[in-house]
Amino acid sequence: MSEHTTPSSSPAANRAPGVCVPWEEKRQEFPKIMGDEAIVKRTWEENDQLAYLFIWHCLLSF
Amino acid sequence: MSDTMEALYQQRLQRYVTALRNGKPDRVPVRPLAAEFVATYAGYTCQEITQDYNKAFDAVRKCASDFQWDACVGNMVYVWTALTQAMGLKYYASPGVEISADTAFQYIEPPEHAAHMLPEEYDALIEDPTAFLFNTWFPRVSNDVDAPGEAVTFRHNMALVKGGMSMLQYFGALGQQNARLRAECGTPPAIGGMLKAPMDIIADKLRGYMGLTNDLLTIPDKVMAASQALVPHLTHMAVTLSGADPERNVPVAFWMHRGCVPFVKQEHFDAIYWPTLKQVIEGIWSHGLQTLFYAEGDWTAHLEAFAELPEKSIVFHLDQSDPVETQRILGKKFCITGGVPNALLAYGSEDEVRAKCKELIDLCAPDGGYCMDASAIMQNDSKPENVRAMTDFTIEYGKY
Repeated sequence: MSEHTTPSSSPAANRAPGVCVPWEEKRQEFPKIMGDEAIVKRTWEENDQLAYLFIWHCLLSF
Repeated sequence: MSDTMEALYQQRLQRYVTALRNGKPDRVPVRPLAAEFVATYAGYTCQEITQDYNKAFDAVRKCASDFQWDACVGNMVYVWTALTQAMGLKYYASPGVEISADTAFQYIEPPEHAAHMLPEEYDALIEDPTAFLFNTWFPRVSNDVDAPGEAVTFRHNMALVKGGMSMLQYFGALGQQNARLRAECGTPPAIGGMLKAPMDIIADKLRGYMGLTNDLLTIPDKVMAASQALVPHLTHMAVTLSGADPERNVPVAFWMHRGCVPFVKQEHFDAIYWPTLKQVIEGIWSHGLQTLFYAEGDWTAHLEAFAELPEKSIVFHLDQSDPVETQRILGKKFCITGGVPNALLAYGSEDEVRAKCKELIDLCAPDGGYCMDASAIMQNDSKPENVRAMTDFTIEYGKY
């Protein structure tokens, strides 16, 4: 199993609200981003937030 | 959407929001949190509305139109059991499956030895709540989801995919339901989401009530630290939920279950429950969002603490708290809602219901700042004629 599939052992311990896998962690997987990094970052964070909402809704709503 | 229906929506929204901000509208709003009652009224079983949310939505719209409520929840039954089954959640008993088709869904609290979080796992929760939920809690509460390190199964993959997709589907449908309530019934939403106090989350979903109360005696510092760790996430969730109500008209509801005396000692309320809940409420209020304290049970012992909050930051829902004391201590700063006993709606006469409504309006609504509702969510034992009496009496007697 690769490191980034085990969040509790990832560098992102104490991750902020709204975040599962921080962009800073994901960014390290790309040696170079050829185009606009801001687009990649924004879309990563928007999708990442969905995973956060999923687990917290499981806890709070269901 | 017809101009007439939109005008009705705006009129009701103005009435409801004015009362929520402790102001004086044209009359007392009627805002029932109607759950399985809508099934009774619309001719469905509990199983039908819990398993098929379209039937629940249909039943809510029928009630909103027929009773002419000023605000309601798009689906107060809320738990769509097809979604919880997709994830393999263990802690629900679904109508028509584990329990009879005409019984409301039930939450199954595990025995203390099988709690969803072990006492030695507090540190992991405190260090990284989101990772703890994914890695430890979710596999434990699901029959299908595997923990990291376990062999990944087909059912594991399906639970994650189906769970995520069904949640998106359901929340999208709830948005459409609110749009239909507006366009077809002229009815605003009653609330903008549902959350819980940090310590209630630990009791309800992590340690269980028995586990929590033991922990309060043996490891109170861990309970406090865990409650603190949940605070920023709850604040974030509340602000995120408000995206469905960008003008922030309606409150986020907090289900307050077992944080009051005698479920916990006063000292634990003072030291842990209240300081951490207060942080969340103040954080939410700093974003312009009100909180509805859905205070189940009797919170009379804690009213003075709630009075510390900024004016208008909360709406206090009356269940079994003393109505006179509630009005005396909180009435000048906050809107009060509810107070009609559910037993009265189930077993009383229409005259008794009207008398209770008069008593509540006279006490809590002399200068606005009150919304008519039952003490707790209305389930399938509320008699339609009594709900009609509560509604019609308020519309007539509640005029200013």
